[in-house]
Amino acid sequence: MTIPAGNTPGPASGLAPGQNHGPRTGRFGGRNLPALAREGWRAATLGLSALLAYRLRSFFVIAAVSLGIASLTVIVAAVDGASKKADEIADMFGPDAVLVFGGNIVNRAVGARTLTLTWEDAARIRQSLPGAYIVLPMRSRGNVRLKHESNNYDVSLVAGTTENYARAWNWPLVEGRDLTAEDVQRGARVALMGDRPARELFGDESPVGRTFLMSGVPFTVVGLLQYRGMSGGGSSVDDRVVIPLTTLTQRFNMDRRYFRALRVKFEDTAGMDTHVEDLRSLLRHLHRLAPEDPDDFTILTAREVLKFLSVIKGGLVLFLGVTAAAAMIVGGFVLANLFLLSVTERRVEIGLKKALGAPGRAILLQFLMESLTLTLCGAVGGVLLGALMGQMLERLGLIEMVLSAKVFLLALAAATAVGLVFGLRPARQAAALDPIQALRGGE
Amino acid sequence: MSTPPNDTARQTGAAEMPAPSAGSASPLVELSGITRSFTQGDLTVEVLRGVSFSIARGEFVAIQGSSGSGKSTLLHILGLLDSPTAGRYVLDGHDVSHLDDDARSEARNQLTGFVFQNFYLIPYATALDNVLLPGLYSHKNLRVQRKRAEDLLHRVGLGDRMDFVPARLSGGQQQRVALARALLNDPALILADEPTGQLDSTTSADILDLFADINRTGKTVVVVTHDAETAARARRRIVIRDGVIESDGLHGGATAGGASA
Repeated sequence: MTIPAGNTPGPASGLAPGQNHGPRTGRFGGRNLPALAREGWRAATLGLSALLAYRLRSFFVIAAVSLGIASLTVIVAAVDGASKKADEIADMFGPDAVLVFGGNIVNRAVGARTLTLTWEDAARIRQSLPGAYIVLPMRSRGNVRLKHESNNYDVSLVAGTTENYARAWNWPLVEGRDLTAEDVQRGARVALMGDRPARELFGDESPVGRTFLMSGVPFTVVGLLQYRGMSGGGSSVDDRVVIPLTTLTQRFNMDRRYFRALRVKFEDTAGMDTHVEDLRSLLRHLHRLAPEDPDDFTILTAREVLKFLSVIKGGLVLFLGVTAAAAMIVGGFVLANLFLLSVTERRVEIGLKKALGAPGRAILLQFLMESLTLTLCGAVGGVLLGALMGQMLERLGLIEMVLSAKVFLLALAAATAVGLVFGLRPARQAAALDPIQALRGGE
Repeated sequence: MSTPPNDTARQTGAAEMPAPSAGSASPLVELSGITRSFTQGDLTVEVLRGVSFSIARGEFVAIQGSSGSGKSTLLHILGLLDSPTAGRYVLDGHDVSHLDDDARSEARNQLTGFVFQNFYLIPYATALDNVLLPGLYSHKNLRVQRKRAEDLLHRVGLGDRMDFVPARLSGGQQQRVALARALLNDPALILADEPTGQLDSTTSADILDLFADINRTGKTVVVVTHDAETAARARRRIVIRDGVIESDGLHGGATAGGASA
């Protein structure tokens, strides 16, 4: 084969021949920023074809990172879900209300009675506590057999209370009416029914106006409570039947003087601290406690509910966080090892590139780009996988998840960190390879 | 086919052709007192023991020697893959004796083109991308480079195989790609290490023809070989033995320097 003479790149070689150049130094080395950016971009595009060429390994790296990111996603979403639920519980509790328990939960003296709240307390609070517009005493009984036709169901909670139960708990009725003062006075055999027992006894039919047996005593359903779908301590809040307190104590032969808890709702939320203090002094006065005696009751506010829930949440964050960190670190080590393998296997390629004039930083950049590309793919895959896993866990009723942009950003940040931290060593090793040695290794 | 535009800044004087070995005022390669020793533990081995010679622009030089003679080390120093322990090396007017790693990379990229015995093409890249590889590190306009790479592939007879990956090319074709790659940055010096060592005799002859053609267009070519056929193509032979030059002389080789002009 011949090459036409006119086709010559030779003479164009910059420095015109014949000219006398003194030896120069310092022309090489030193780079401006746009040049570096261009170098990075082109190295990246070549890196992509390398990743495609080593598909299996790329897949493993992505899979390892994906698993870590997926667990991170589930964790963040679950914690967010728990936060949301805590807010909902606090909301349901009501920022304008308190719950008073008999007995001191925080500082319980040995043998101290937990039944300390009386009808008289309730009446006095209703009369003389400024701002309190609902005062609702409550007692309850667990695990009571309900029966309707051939359907039997053991409801986990039967609550006895007074009028305006639904209103006091911000719990809307789907159908029917709330308990009335008359129901309480008469000791009427009427009930508000939670979603769960309603479904168990009456299926999809409306329970309102129907009659069922509770421990053999017939009751009429007057109202259906809205589905809340919240669980706490293993039982659903929807698993309850609410009847007049008078009826409860009569039918189940319970003490008639005391009740377990007192729900107090105030007209405004602004003065809650004052309201709570007023309530405390009033109860201490009613119970004739000396100044040095501890409270024989406990006042729970929405804020305390939130505080309690956030402690639980903190535990969740810690446990799941450790799990996620472990998963990411495992993913990182898989990445680092596969990349070290890659550097060994691609010695010739690296040596060649260096021989053709690639500076160490270009090789470093290439491998970092490769590792980052893979971990970022892993981040995207991981979020998708995590969302899927979350869906399944949610369907199993194990957790509630809230997916947000935050989850995605966190995943990207974690993946970038893993890519840089675990990709750096192999990349530096590649950059430091001596081209002569590297090429010799390929023969 | 037209002259590939290599760099807008380098367009001047494109029509002039240097006469090979015409005793140009500045030789392309100037080695003086080059030594290279390797230390391993307490043992120091001096592989090159004072090598001095010059190569003028447009020469076709074969470096010969038995294995262990130091010819590979000499080639590595010529190709800026290695630095001499002592001595001075001036390449194309630049003192490149003791550059740091990055500067050496850049000088290698701009001033030399390497052709290896094992071709060393990137297996997952097409012929065109392989030719473009040195351009990756030279910071020139990609469109201009791509055009030049295409022209070069046409020149080496692979215009219809630019999108082939190396596995789909024969050994000779792979070496042609490697040659085109060596020419991409329009280096002053083309270096080849046993370029026909992996090829059968017919293909070898084709590749050597190609080297001769490249040399005829004015490129300086240095080939390291112990193949007599290959050495016969060069006009000048430098024989190295035990780290020093044993002989250095012209002979009536097949190279017709500047004959095609």
